[in-house]
Amino acid sequence: MTENDRLLLNAYIDGELDPAHALEFEQRLAGNGPLADERARIEALRGAMRERLPRATASPELRRRIAALARPRPFAIDWGARRGLGAKWGAMAASIAVAFAVGSAATYLAIRPDRGEPELLVSSHMRALMATQPVEVVSTDRHTVKPWFNGKLPQSPRVIDLAAQGFPLAGGRIDVIGLTPAPTLVYRARQHVISLTALPGSLRARGAIRPIDGYNVVEWTDGSLAYWAVSDLAAPELENFAKAFRAGEAEP
Amino acid sequence: MDRGDSKARFANVVIPHLDDAYGLARWVTGNRADAEDVVQEACLRAFRGIGGFTGGNGRAWVLTIVRNAAYDWLRKNRAPAVVHVDDLEAVERMRLADDAPPAGDNPEAALIARADEVKLEAAIASLPAIFRETLVLRDVQGLDYREIATITDVPIGTVMSRLARARRRVIEMLGAHR
Repeated sequence: MTENDRLLLNAYIDGELDPAHALEFEQRLAGNGPLADERARIEALRGAMRERLPRATASPELRRRIAALARPRPFAIDWGARRGLGAKWGAMAASIAVAFAVGSAATYLAIRPDRGEPELLVSSHMRALMATQPVEVVSTDRHTVKPWFNGKLPQSPRVIDLAAQGFPLAGGRIDVIGLTPAPTLVYRARQHVISLTALPGSLRARGAIRPIDGYNVVEWTDGSLAYWAVSDLAAPELENFAKAFRAGEAEP
Repeated sequence: MDRGDSKARFANVVIPHLDDAYGLARWVTGNRADAEDVVQEACLRAFRGIGGFTGGNGRAWVLTIVRNAAYDWLRKNRAPAVVHVDDLEAVERMRLADDAPPAGDNPEAALIARADEVKLEAAIASLPAIFRETLVLRDVQGLDYREIATITDVPIGTVMSRLARARRRVIEMLGAHR
């Protein structure tokens, strides 16, 4: 049996030959024992695969996470969901962060992505929304969130309680922006999620930031760190959040 | 394209093919958790790139992205699995042409037809990635040669030879030791 015969045989079985060639090949099959035997084996394999290897189905959990991307605003985050893939990602981010922290605090301050912090931050925010939950440490208590960062990053951000202003704390996570592991605080505003990432002071916005894929981005600095807030909240509301955070920072 | 349009297109183009996406990722990575990571990454790419989808075959478009994400994953995590395609094809070509299966009442076919799920999976899983994906796209997911050529980014002739080799290998594994 030549190589060409085998290719034709497979294409014939798959119904990929045009009618004229199919007919011609059928006639050859009839008078060719080895070819006919191989046909029987291939058909047997196809039959067995079709019967015994059912098409995989995406788990409801995966389906829900992917569907979250296409859900109309606002995102409804399932805060009660158990930690699945999110935990795994978190563990990975944390181990990267630890590697950097061991490198030195200078690494954290020195590495500067060429450009595109707003896009990177929005990507991180979207990734987090797709995960089972957008935080690695779940807590509404800033006294829990801050020590969690202390163990993982050379610098941890101020964690400010803004529940009274309508922005309860949800927890925190570590994002890797470009090559920079960065602490991210997660606040809620009604059903919306706000990711607030603290980057080195050198990573400030250059000029006005336009909304990206419908997400608003607000940036400010406290003098040493650059704070970036990302959310699908309306721009004025996100500005209010930034104001509230800065006011909280100013307090002793 | 504004965000609302992106969401609507994503829901129409990508979501319907999630099972196929997961199925392909599952076969390429070999396990559920990694397949879910790959699908999630692919969907994020698809979401960002939905503006570039010009219509036509949505399933092929989605599977192309999944396939690329899966191979990025393989390169990162299973470097040896993607090696030396040329060598491999040379070896396979030799065997494909030289092999002369026994004639007769074809007990091999009966043996293959009875192969259980575990044996089948193991035989397919042992194929090199490019042969495995071609076989799975054809015989598990039911795509035609043209779609497979698009997704795996090779000419139809290459799809044909990969598929023939993949089937021959699995048949050898399942039909041996009568």
